[in-house]
Amino acid sequence: MKPPVRIVVALLGLVASALLAAGCSDLGAGGLDGPTETAEAAPGPGNGELTISNWPSYIDRNTVSDFEAKTGISVDYIEDVNDNNEFFSKLQPTLQNRDPAGRSIFVVTDWMANKMHNLGYLQKFDQKSVAPAMANLVPSLQHPAFDPNREFSLPWQSGMTGLVVNTAKAPDIKSINDIFDPQYKGKITVLSEMRDTVPLIMKADGINPEDATADDWLNAIDKLKEAVDSGQIIGVTGNSYINDMARGDVVAAIGWSGDAIQLQADDPDIQFVMPEQGCILWSDNMVIPVGAPNPAAAYEWMNYVYQPENQAQIANYNYYFSPVKGVKPYLKKINPEAAKSPLIFPTESFTKNCSTQPDPPRLDTAEIEKAFQSLVTGG
Amino acid sequence: MKAVNWIRERGVMIFAILVVIYTLLPIAVIIAFSFNDPAGKFNFTWQGFTTQYWGDAFAISDLNKAMLTSLELAAAATIIATILGTMIALALVRYQFRGRRMANLLIVIPMTSPEVVIGAALLSMFVYFQVSTGFITLLIAHIMFSISFVVVVVRSRLIGFDRRLEEAARDLGADASTTFRTVTLPLIAPGLISAALLAFALSLDDFVISNFNSGTTVTFPLYIFGAAQRGIPVQVNVFATMLFMLTVVAMVVTVLQQRRAEKLASVRPDQEDGTTPGLPASAPATATS
Amino acid sequence: MGAWAKSKGTPYFLMGPGLLWLTIFFVLPMLFMLSVSLYQGSLDTTFEMTWHFENFKTAITDFDTQFVRSFIYAGAATLLCLVIAYPLSYAIAFKAGRWRQVMLLCVIAPFFTTYLIRTYAWQTILSNDGTVVNVFQTLGILGDDGTLLKTPTAVIAGLTYNFLPFMVLPIYASLEQMDTRLIEAGRDLYSNARTAFFKITLPISMPGVIAGTLLTFIPAVGDYVNATFLGSPNQAMIGNVIQSQYLVTKDYPIAAAISFIMMALIVLMIAIYIKFAGEESLMGDEAEVVTAK
Repeated sequence: MKPPVRIVVALLGLVASALLAAGCSDLGAGGLDGPTETAEAAPGPGNGELTISNWPSYIDRNTVSDFEAKTGISVDYIEDVNDNNEFFSKLQPTLQNRDPAGRSIFVVTDWMANKMHNLGYLQKFDQKSVAPAMANLVPSLQHPAFDPNREFSLPWQSGMTGLVVNTAKAPDIKSINDIFDPQYKGKITVLSEMRDTVPLIMKADGINPEDATADDWLNAIDKLKEAVDSGQIIGVTGNSYINDMARGDVVAAIGWSGDAIQLQADDPDIQFVMPEQGCILWSDNMVIPVGAPNPAAAYEWMNYVYQPENQAQIANYNYYFSPVKGVKPYLKKINPEAAKSPLIFPTESFTKNCSTQPDPPRLDTAEIEKAFQSLVTGG
Repeated sequence: MKAVNWIRERGVMIFAILVVIYTLLPIAVIIAFSFNDPAGKFNFTWQGFTTQYWGDAFAISDLNKAMLTSLELAAAATIIATILGTMIALALVRYQFRGRRMANLLIVIPMTSPEVVIGAALLSMFVYFQVSTGFITLLIAHIMFSISFVVVVVRSRLIGFDRRLEEAARDLGADASTTFRTVTLPLIAPGLISAALLAFALSLDDFVISNFNSGTTVTFPLYIFGAAQRGIPVQVNVFATMLFMLTVVAMVVTVLQQRRAEKLASVRPDQEDGTTPGLPASAPATATS
Repeated sequence: MGAWAKSKGTPYFLMGPGLLWLTIFFVLPMLFMLSVSLYQGSLDTTFEMTWHFENFKTAITDFDTQFVRSFIYAGAATLLCLVIAYPLSYAIAFKAGRWRQVMLLCVIAPFFTTYLIRTYAWQTILSNDGTVVNVFQTLGILGDDGTLLKTPTAVIAGLTYNFLPFMVLPIYASLEQMDTRLIEAGRDLYSNARTAFFKITLPISMPGVIAGTLLTFIPAVGDYVNATFLGSPNQAMIGNVIQSQYLVTKDYPIAAAISFIMMALIVLMIAIYIKFAGEESLMGDEAEVVTAK
């Protein structure tokens, strides 16, 4: 065997040149160059194609085809948002080039909408075009802190993060603290969506998540970490916890309100349990990315789903809070049971202890996110 | 002694049959559950037999689109990788040249690198150059990881190739390109087909590298990964069953074809016993030996 | 030889496009990854080349558990694969007779049926209310509360299953090439099948065993699909870390450092292997290597 000196030399040369090249030019910093406040999406005739990215299990079978029939717009409705972070990571390389991969609407949670906006990836709405929808937005969602005038986001659905419990296998889980009960060891999961899980743990410890310090966040994460390491909590998952619940391997989870109802088809014992400490409230929002191919169609879609009767059809399927005024009478017509559900029309007493989904203290976000991620990948 | 041997020899065979059952078990589950009639959206407890989902196999448009994307991607990647890989194999087998070691290394290392590293490295580069990830980046990646496997399969085929056949053709007055077309190509064609099928299968099945470089393009495996979060629709089992059947048919066809080719080629005096790529994924080629 | 074949440049012309592709889309990305591993910052803020070697230290100290775990799981799976694959290959090569190709097909065909679905099927098979758990509980292998899903056992079992053909094929290839007259001669010589096996068959199939070990271990050590589908966070492997660092937290520098460490370990393993067997042996020339010695 000849000494592979030449190969080593050649490789070193390549390494050196790549390093030099890298040293000379910085990797493109996130965000777009130039002004981040972008022109309003111009209205236009509503036709052609519309591509939407949404979360799975968020729409009934008919809404898309009804919309197509009514407007002549052909819709590509893609259920490819499984996790805010993951969706964003996959999209960021294209978003940087002002290219939203053909999509005119994304549906992302409040904090992610805010993040995308801050990076300059989103368009401001043309308020005139979206006025019919805005007129039907329920008052409680009109002025969120991250977008006080709803300039770039419009709720798709809102919901609660609380406990999803198999009431036959774990009848006595009522409080967040109960998930740490040793008798349920290995049968508990929590959400990998940090802003859902960690605030609930803080609430259980008597901390108001809306003014929690970085230490509060890190302490709550430590508490979770211990439970994960000991095997008490068996999963830190996104959507996939519902698999484990349906299979009966997991008896209680920190989960989303609509899921409980959707799981009942597989196991009628699965219920949404409002934790004694209250829940976390959030919205998933429709946003229009910079470079969206057909904003006019996007507005038509928004206006369409904000018609109470169309919204009733969606609410009847997904059982999340409806952000639209006047849905109840229409829902009553198609499904009187659903119209009574506090999951779709929460009463004030039902959600009295709930908090709006908080962001961690801004300067410490990276550190907190990193600590949280170590739950997912063990350690 | 004989009795002991008898048991021992049967023992090995019984063990082997158990292993075959073990490898087929998940496939049996997949096929069985393509006929399941789930109550809710989860298809993992047996509820009852139905052929409904075979009838509605193409009812989920996202799934169809993902499958189409995968097929387009696999077809494009296969054609390009097979051409590039075959050219490399020809060079490696038929020529002496400086830099052979380097070339060999360049081919071997991608095959022996963990997919997660390859995927991550490619993404690093695409992000650096601000390339939008999507179908094109997927195609680039799939060609890249298929080339090495094509080289291995075609190369093993070329090694057993009797070059006197080509010489004979030229003695009879054929020019180089005619010889290549009428003698070389038909003889290595089974190898090319094996290589192409392998590249196609690798591309169709790839999840890890694709997951890094897909952007928002959804391939069949990526669709499954997404769907697995919220309950895989029965149609996925139907698709998987069809894929399995196709694989079996494709493998059987290649086996038969290669047997025929070997018969045709049996004029060569020192025939080697088929091909022996040392690599797992070169399955179709190996299955023919 | 035709005129085109005589030219000295021909092999380079033939290899050029393919090797260029591998260089641009494999070698170059690896080098970029190396350079990114010395950056600081993230995609959301700024990214700067600061020759931050600290990243490598962080990668090791923060994720040592997952590194060690990956090597243990992959090692266990490789060993299991070997134990399963050797007798299987032996049976196919020498005992199966005309069933040889059918058996080979049965072993290989499943592995062309979407990796993810197969792993998902194992989720069903191993679930708490599934048959395997029930049988194991009845046999007393598992306690009454025992579970398989989300345990190291499930992840190792998944890895073993998914990478089995990577072990079977090289071993089979090396056995199948063997001249059976050698075994007969061995039996005559040692008058004992067992001795003949250890003195003749095993040594001849050794290159296949080594190649198989390498080809099983490497993908297994970097895998994250099995740990995701069959494990819990306590079974997370280094692949899960790389995936989540790249696609969730987007801490590219650390992720690149981890990937690079892994790559370095693997290149080291390959280098050792090549030192003993030659690089062409990884391309399927066990037989030639054997005869050359």
